[in-house]
Amino acid sequence: MIVRFWGTRGSLPVALKADAVRGKIARALVAANGHSITSLEAADAFISGELDFATGGTYGGATACVEIESGDSFFVCDMGSGLRQFGLSAMKRCAEGHQRTFNFFQSHLHWDHIMGFPFFVPAFDPAAKIVIHSAHPDAEDALRRQQEEISFPVPFDWLRASIEFVAMVPGEPIEVDGLKVVAEKQAHSHDSYGYRFTDSRGQTVVFSTDSEHKADNMKDEAAFITFFRDADLVICDTMYSLADSVSMKEDWGHSSNIVAIDLCHEAGAKRLALFHHEPTYDDGDIQRMHEESIRYEELTRDGSALEVLCAYDGLEIRL
Amino acid sequence: MDFSCRSADGILVAAVEGRIDESTWEAFAERMSAVIDQAAAEKLSELMLDLSALDYMSSRGLRVLTMAKRQADAAGLTITLAAPNDVMREILAISRYDKLFHISDSVDTGQ
Repeated sequence: MIVRFWGTRGSLPVALKADAVRGKIARALVAANGHSITSLEAADAFISGELDFATGGTYGGATACVEIESGDSFFVCDMGSGLRQFGLSAMKRCAEGHQRTFNFFQSHLHWDHIMGFPFFVPAFDPAAKIVIHSAHPDAEDALRRQQEEISFPVPFDWLRASIEFVAMVPGEPIEVDGLKVVAEKQAHSHDSYGYRFTDSRGQTVVFSTDSEHKADNMKDEAAFITFFRDADLVICDTMYSLADSVSMKEDWGHSSNIVAIDLCHEAGAKRLALFHHEPTYDDGDIQRMHEESIRYEELTRDGSALEVLCAYDGLEIRL
Repeated sequence: MDFSCRSADGILVAAVEGRIDESTWEAFAERMSAVIDQAAAEKLSELMLDLSALDYMSSRGLRVLTMAKRQADAAGLTITLAAPNDVMREILAISRYDKLFHISDSVDTGQ
């Protein structure tokens, strides 16, 4: 399996501003002092070897969209603004012979998780087949509503692809193109659902975003430990600090980096991808959160190491 | 996890030892709730939680502290976290719980 992150930001798309870019360039120039960099290749090697990610790169600003490459068809979790870039990539791959079937799995229907669909180019391809799996019975209503005239100029019925909605029942696995998929209900406004994907070799990816793990409900986390059990990769909502998630942002439907690490530790998961980044965070803030998460994992480890990754737009993980 | 409690100069001092994680948080929650009830019954205004012998606390323990703080706030009781070791200080900083709780360097009850 290959996991590609097309959108990793929470709640609202964000973009780098000019002052942030200038700051990166300034830090890079200072770091380059004394180095002889006379070619683009040397510059690339310097960026990879000497600069931290917040200086030499960016976590990106598109909202949730994650591709899982497995089997002949496409698998996509959520339709955030990152879906547009995925759609363009998929069209290119289809032109090279890839099957034009798209299996979506929707965590929920909030705006930041569906806003990419009106810009999903394969939806205009009459040869494409789109199957939208969701445990929400109102998934079709949500997608049609955002393309009503008051919100968008192109109505849902103008889309040329074959579009089908499949209602999933939490806890009841289905098999789609060689992947076993099971949904788990999560605490979020209007509910959200996590998905556990397992291929024929037993490799497992869990997508668990927009999921709050509340301080007054910790006994219910046993279900998530089972859901995450021995996963090769768990993609987790880690939008807030724990302190924020239990105080001013309680009941906003999101979780923290350290709860995600604890759940993964307890479940024996191998890798955690921090996901659904707070939109007010700049690259430095997200990098700091990643470094602190790695440190917390070290401090509380009581068994096998958990690799803590920080998802960014463009990250590709090969399992 | 071990938990003990003593009164000192009008302050209830609860000491916790070992680690608070997925296997011990429920016992810790029960002890914290009981000690807050005790402090409220004795009309005390402060509960000091002595962390000097605590190895570490995961998010399970931190969230118990949140529930304890809510119970304490309702009883007009202040909780102070005292003498955390270096590991626990890091965890309090990473979780930003150092912004939710008053942290004292020592178990100083003013005696």
